Amino acid sequence: MKKYFAIFSLTVKEYFVYRLNFILWRVRVFINLLILFFLWSSVFEKNPQFGSYSKDSMLSYIIYANIISNFVLGTRTPEIAGYINDGKIINDLLKPVSFFTYYFTRDLADKAVNMFFFFFELALIVLLFHPNIHLPKNIFFGIIFLINGVLISYFANLLLSFIGFWTTEVWSPRFLFMMLLFFVTGSYFPLDLLPAPIFYLLSLTPFPYFFYLPSFLSCGFL
Amino acid sequence: MLNTIRYYLRLYLLFTKFAYRTVLQARLGILFFMGAKLVRFAFFFFFILIIFGRKSNFGGYTFNQAILFYLTFNVIDTAAQVLFREVYRFRPMVLSGTFDLILLKPHHPFIRILLGGGDILDLSLLFPYLLLALFFAFKITSITFLSLASYFILIGNGLLIATSFHIIVLALGILTTEVDHTIMIYRDMTIMGRFPFDIYKEPLRGVFTFIIPIGIMMSFPPYALFGLLSPFSYLLSFVISSLLFFGSLKLWDYALKKYQSWGG
Repeated sequence: MKKYFAIFSLTVKEYFVYRLNFILWRVRVFINLLILFFLWSSVFEKNPQFGSYSKDSMLSYIIYANIISNFVLGTRTPEIAGYINDGKIINDLLKPVSFFTYYFTRDLADKAVNMFFFFFELALIVLLFHPNIHLPKNIFFGIIFLINGVLISYFANLLLSFIGFWTTEVWSPRFLFMMLLFFVTGSYFPLDLLPAPIFYLLSLTPFPYFFYLPSFLSCGFL
Repeated sequence: MLNTIRYYLRLYLLFTKFAYRTVLQARLGILFFMGAKLVRFAFFFFFILIIFGRKSNFGGYTFNQAILFYLTFNVIDTAAQVLFREVYRFRPMVLSGTFDLILLKPHHPFIRILLGGGDILDLSLLFPYLLLALFFAFKITSITFLSLASYFILIGNGLLIATSFHIIVLALGILTTEVDHTIMIYRDMTIMGRFPFDIYKEPLRGVFTFIIPIGIMMSFPPYALFGLLSPFSYLLSFVISSLLFFGSLKLWDYALKKYQSWGG
């Protein structure tokens, strides 16, 4: 267990090597949240209801979805594809640690850094705009589905990286995956706003289980 | 003067040909990248349909007008990608020192580091976006020749702003060796231009119109098409884009003076 703590600690430290890079990354995360926040606030400016959502419930969903997506989607697995292509993967395979646990620990470190800084950014949003956020509900099931989302995300990302064993074109499938992930996981709006057939079709794919379901549960909509 | 233009045009075409050949090496990549870009386009189209379809006249705009804002964003954004894709590859040049070799060449470095990597994938999407924009523009009955001409002039103005932002990213790349996130911050900010700018509240609207002129870049062309711009707004948009352009060139000059070169 001690060695995995060391891996965790080293991964966290890696983020602070290129500090400007790190700060700009956080600026991006903040801008994206801000844009989404402004957009939905504008939608509700003249109309108190959008579908089955009030302004408070929509902004609560957006905030919960952002918190949970920051945790679920944080990953270091994309680097594996590059290591497979240039042969450096052998360094990982030779280490006296489980390959899968090694990368899962790195993922956890990434998620921890993401969450730590995201809470400051979120606090800034709350201070600036005073949104009326719902208190978290269904915490037990929320956590169960959060763990489920983390595992789905981890293994989906590993699968994408393993494409490197067959081809050097590893970035383009990941780009397509990221686009799908961005749009059909509910990061822009709750998926139940979609027409019912599309929503049911989507629920047969892994995408809603990344963070839509945990966010939906945490908001107390279910 | 004409000879210089001809010289740079030949260089541009040569670099573009090389860039296209490199892209065509990865055929599977083309398939996935095009798929991803189409997914993104379709998603935002659908998103606008959800927002503007459910809320008729959201922000005072009909669905057709909202789509025109979105398509104008796509035209300007894609044209900028076609022209300035090489900016995304600038960081390794600074880190490895190969930028020195570009500075030594007897041509302006922008022809290589700014314009030297045309994106064929985006080029193939630019024309459909433009045709779709014209299709929706003609669905709006109040379009005149003058408003259409103003629309294209302001798209040109938007591209000048995009050029300035890319030059600023290059300059910051030299000063800080950071390009990847700065260019993505620019891309993230332009996301707001997918929707009419009047839907945003102050102070955001003011900041992104006068300080970081994303609003002028993306929303002013459709405003002109709908006849919503005053002569003062036209003047303001040209003044701001010119100031930004000259400011970006000044920053570039400053960055070059600070450049430490290979082994510096």
